[in-house]
Amino acid sequence: MKRQIRIAIPSKGRLKQPSIQLLQYAGIDILEQGRAYVFQISDSRFQVIFARAFDIPVYVHYGAVDVGITGHDLILERESDVHELLDLGFGKCRLVVAALEDSPINSINDISGVARVATEYPNLSRRYFQGLGKQVEILELRGNSELAPKLGLAQVIVDVCSSGETLRKNNLKAIATILTSTCRLACNKIAYRTFETEIKELLDSLRQGGM
Amino acid sequence: MAFTRLHTPKGTRDYLPDEVERYRSVEDELREIFGLWGYQEVRSPTIEFLEALSRGVGRGLVDTIFKFQDFDGKILALRPEMTAPVARIVTTRMLSVPEPIRLFYMSNVFRYRQPYVEREREFWQAGAELIGCNTSEADGEILSLLVSSLRKLGLKEVRVDVGHASLLKDLLKATGLDDEKQGSLRNLLAYRDEVRLEEFMDQSSFPAGLKEAILQLSCSRRLDEVSSISLGSSEYGNADDHLKSLLDINDVLADYGIKNLVFFDFSLVRKIEYYTGMVFEASVPNLGLPLGGGGRYDDLIKKHGKLKLPATGFALEIEKCLRALAAQGTQMSQKTKTKILVSSKFRNAALEAVTALHNAGVIALLDVMKGGEKKIVEYAKLAGIDYVVFVDSSLEKPAKVHDIRSDVSRNELIESFLQSVGGSS
Repeated sequence: MKRQIRIAIPSKGRLKQPSIQLLQYAGIDILEQGRAYVFQISDSRFQVIFARAFDIPVYVHYGAVDVGITGHDLILERESDVHELLDLGFGKCRLVVAALEDSPINSINDISGVARVATEYPNLSRRYFQGLGKQVEILELRGNSELAPKLGLAQVIVDVCSSGETLRKNNLKAIATILTSTCRLACNKIAYRTFETEIKELLDSLRQGGM
Repeated sequence: MAFTRLHTPKGTRDYLPDEVERYRSVEDELREIFGLWGYQEVRSPTIEFLEALSRGVGRGLVDTIFKFQDFDGKILALRPEMTAPVARIVTTRMLSVPEPIRLFYMSNVFRYRQPYVEREREFWQAGAELIGCNTSEADGEILSLLVSSLRKLGLKEVRVDVGHASLLKDLLKATGLDDEKQGSLRNLLAYRDEVRLEEFMDQSSFPAGLKEAILQLSCSRRLDEVSSISLGSSEYGNADDHLKSLLDINDVLADYGIKNLVFFDFSLVRKIEYYTGMVFEASVPNLGLPLGGGGRYDDLIKKHGKLKLPATGFALEIEKCLRALAAQGTQMSQKTKTKILVSSKFRNAALEAVTALHNAGVIALLDVMKGGEKKIVEYAKLAGIDYVVFVDSSLEKPAKVHDIRSDVSRNELIESFLQSVGGSS
């Protein structure tokens, strides 16, 4: 049974452009841009689907797409059981715990009592603080968690940080690093079994494309 | 939307008649084939002592068990899988039964998951266990039964990927790396990232021969291919024996004629820890998740009693099988049976007709609404009934048979009507 290999790439944010470029270098041009989520591309063996980077691990895990470009941090957060065929190198970031510049919290040990943690990463945050034996209250936000300390909504946040610019702009300082991450080529496990030859060809052209 | 306790809790659901019928048809097929292969069905209680359910399954699974307290303070739990209950049954109730013992089950199992990850918390498994035998023939039988079962359901392009729990464990241990590094190595193998795997091994100091073997195993896709891999060292635990056992299984599969459907995956690990030998997963190309899996567990049964009984088995998720069938466009052969509604002003005549239909193996319902003809036909249309039969004062007289699909009535004796709908008397 042969069908097109479905590739999911981030629909917005800092991972979108490098992903499109990466596919271009590998000889896969996205021909039609528009409001649709499924795109016509130059190589008929593949199909490209735009999706939220946060959701791509889930798409791949369930096999809704065969491969997807997404962050290692997001794969861990969504607890997706997928292959990570390739470290794409871009999208370097750290998942950090951050507090306000002028707060007395300078390290994890300075957090006293049950702190409230605002984050888009409830799973990784919960696991991290549990591992340290720290009791915290996790407040799950959809983006812009850096606002939370300023508004008194939370004492600390857990968020990704690439250059540190966003943290600085919001008067925040990183006090601990939970993990470092880069973009990965995630692959559904059954799809890899079924389409290993085709997916390996894709891998080779990505590597030759000067990744 | 107001919360109401009339909904079912997260991860659980009701099964309506159509769906139960689909489930049943899968269960019936599996029951038939398990039975033909000499496996006998067992049932165990839905709730058991936590201790009995958690022995040997590993922390990962224990964390997902629903636990609660009995009135006398003991900790009870809902079964998260069926192999541990079967192991307990064998060591406590079947001591005098000669081995090997072949058992199967069809049960609902329960796993607590973070509500964040929306997954089923109650689901149905069908599984087979071959207990008391550690031959490659036993492993081959289990793999072959798995393949035959999936094929019997009508699934196409079934494949099974086989790994070996102890082979991976022994080789990781032989690297001499600390736990964290062993974890990284295991992850890289599971990621299938060959570039980083090589980089990682280049930077680690363990014997070049071992590195070569790990790379080769990681690249092998067929059980045949492992025959060319030589470990040739007793320092790698029993790795050589494990490799040989895989090759022996491969020989058995060749005789079963399913060698070409079974692949090798060195990195394959199951989420349950009791496996000691081969481990495997079954899949079809159209579904992104495995349909089920299993493996050999030679130490689990000993944890439940004095006997050390080697065993091997598998479990299938019925829901996944149904989804795979749907994805392949295969309808389970639904036994579409004619449904007849019998109505009469003369209750004894109606009952007589219903009984005659039942005796002939035809689905017949008695009208209990006591409404007019029009109302009865209206109901029949909506309720998926094929014929309404209006019986006169006796079966000797012709009844009025209303064909719902064509909306045409005719007068016919019950006896001849029975023959026309394929009754068996």
